[in-house]
Parts: sequence; structure tokens; C-alpha cells
Amino acid sequence: MTNMHSPLHHIEVPASVAAAGVVMREDKYRGHLNLRGNPQDEAFTSAVAKTLGVALPTTPNSSAENGTTRVYWLCPNEWLLLVAEGTQGQVEADLRAALADQHIAITDLSSGQTLVNLSGANIDELMLKSAVYDCHPSNFPVSKVVQTTFAKTGAVIYKCADGSFDLVIRRSFSDYFFLWVADASEEYGLQVV
Amino acid sequence: MLHIYCPYCEEMREEEEFSYSGEAHIARPTDPESLTDAQWGDYVFFRTNPRGLHHEMWNHAAGCRRYFNATRNTQTYEIHETYKMGEQPTVTGGKP
Ligand SMILES: [Zn+2]
Repeated sequence: MTNMHSPLHHIEVPASVAAAGVVMREDKYRGHLNLRGNPQDEAFTSAVAKTLGVALPTTPNSSAENGTTRVYWLCPNEWLLLVAEGTQGQVEADLRAALADQHIAITDLSSGQTLVNLSGANIDELMLKSAVYDCHPSNFPVSKVVQTTFAKTGAVIYKCADGSFDLVIRRSFSDYFFLWVADASEEYGLQVV
Repeated sequence: MLHIYCPYCEEMREEEEFSYSGEAHIARPTDPESLTDAQWGDYVFFRTNPRGLHHEMWNHAAGCRRYFNATRNTQTYEIHETYKMGEQPTVTGGKP
């Protein structure tokens, strides 16, 4: 991976801040696959579940997880698969083999977007001023996933079990995204790990 | 800001996530070759632009990216209902 640059490779890591209220960590090089198919077709859902080891979530704004594979519901016939670094080519090939002759689409988005984790004592305040969606714990339980905007740019927001948020953002907006987070976190202190 | 219920995401979402896509239920001519220029122009360009209830398309652009329909009052901006593509409105103000 020495010749690869993650979307946020260029940002400067400040010297550790004593009491940073916001901590940002890029989950570099995760495999991102977009999958489309008919959830009413039992042949499709069972083949995907068998290949991924996890059933496709069909409830709006929900997700499913199995080890390093996470599946986001995006719309009634579309999902985002987050798989371990470097495995997306194999997962795509396995899915294509399992879904041969079916009316489906698989698109590798790994180099077009990235996964960023935002955590810290002030994470809820940061989300409150960045997202139009209500990210308060009462409206955003663990494992919920929402496609919305974050500081005007598109983001897929997921609530982790530890209360932090995983955001999928576009590579082309990653620089803007970081500058926003840095500015919005100024009052809390930002640490990039 | 409008709060709009997406029938696919099954949640109220902020207007910022949506884009407006014009009048709904405009049937594409089944035999376009036989249309006069006036009829084709009417299909492509002319809209009812009512004062009051309006059935219109919206796109959940920053969300599920699906098109859906809404019945909105163009005078008050009140959205009476949203419904999926292929479905018919239930709020019609007595008109079909
Ligand atoms: Zn939606």
C-alpha cells in the first residue's frame, strides 16, 4: 500500500491536544462496494447473505454487521458494503459469481470515498452544528444509518456502539470536510489520530 | 425550512436534503409520432401551475436519491401527503 494515498493523507496531525473534545480518525483504505438488487427476490437476498455472512438489512436507515463487513441500507434496493482493506476485489468477484444471471449491479467505490470516525466528549455538539439531521441519541440509536448532509456536503452517517459516528464522505470533499471539522471543533479542541 | 416525509426512508427530513422536480402524473404520450407540434409543446413545456393543491415530484437528493410525489398547497406550502412513485394521491380536493 506504499503507493496509495488516502483521501485525508495530507492533513496535518497536530501535537496531541491535552483535552480534545473531538477526535477524528480516518479508517483508511476500507473497501466500499455499492450493491443493487431486488430485496423481494429470495434468490438475491439468500445468495448475498451466504456470500457476505450477513443478511441485507431491509428496514429503512438500518445496518447489519459481521466482523469487518458492515452493510448499510441506502434505499429499498441499494446497499453500501464496507469490507476489510484490500478484500473488495474478492468480495465483488464472489458476489458476481453468486449472483450470476441476476439483475443486479455492483460498483467498487473504494477510491472515491472514505470512512471517517468522529468521537470525543463533544461529539454530539459537533454533530448538532454540522448536520441538518437530528443526531441526538434519542433520535439516532446505535447502528442506525442515515444518508444526509454534513456541513452541506453529502455524508452517510452511522452511529457506532461506543457513541461515536462513522461518516462516509466523498474523496473530492474530504479536504473541505476536514477544514469544516477543524473549524467547528476549535472551541472543543481537535485531535487527529 | 420545510420538513418533508420521505416515503422510502420513512422519516421526516430537512428540506435541504431534497430537490423539487415539478408537476407529477404527467403521462408520456404513447404515440409521440402522431402528435402535433402544439400537443408536443404542451407535453414538454406547459404545466398547470395551480393555486392551491398541487401534486408534484420531489427527489430525496441527499438521502435515498429516490423520486416520490407530494401533494402540496401552493398557497400555504402545507404538504398534505407524500407517496411513492406509481401510487395515486389521496388528497385531491374533490378533483380526480
Ligand atoms: Zn429518502
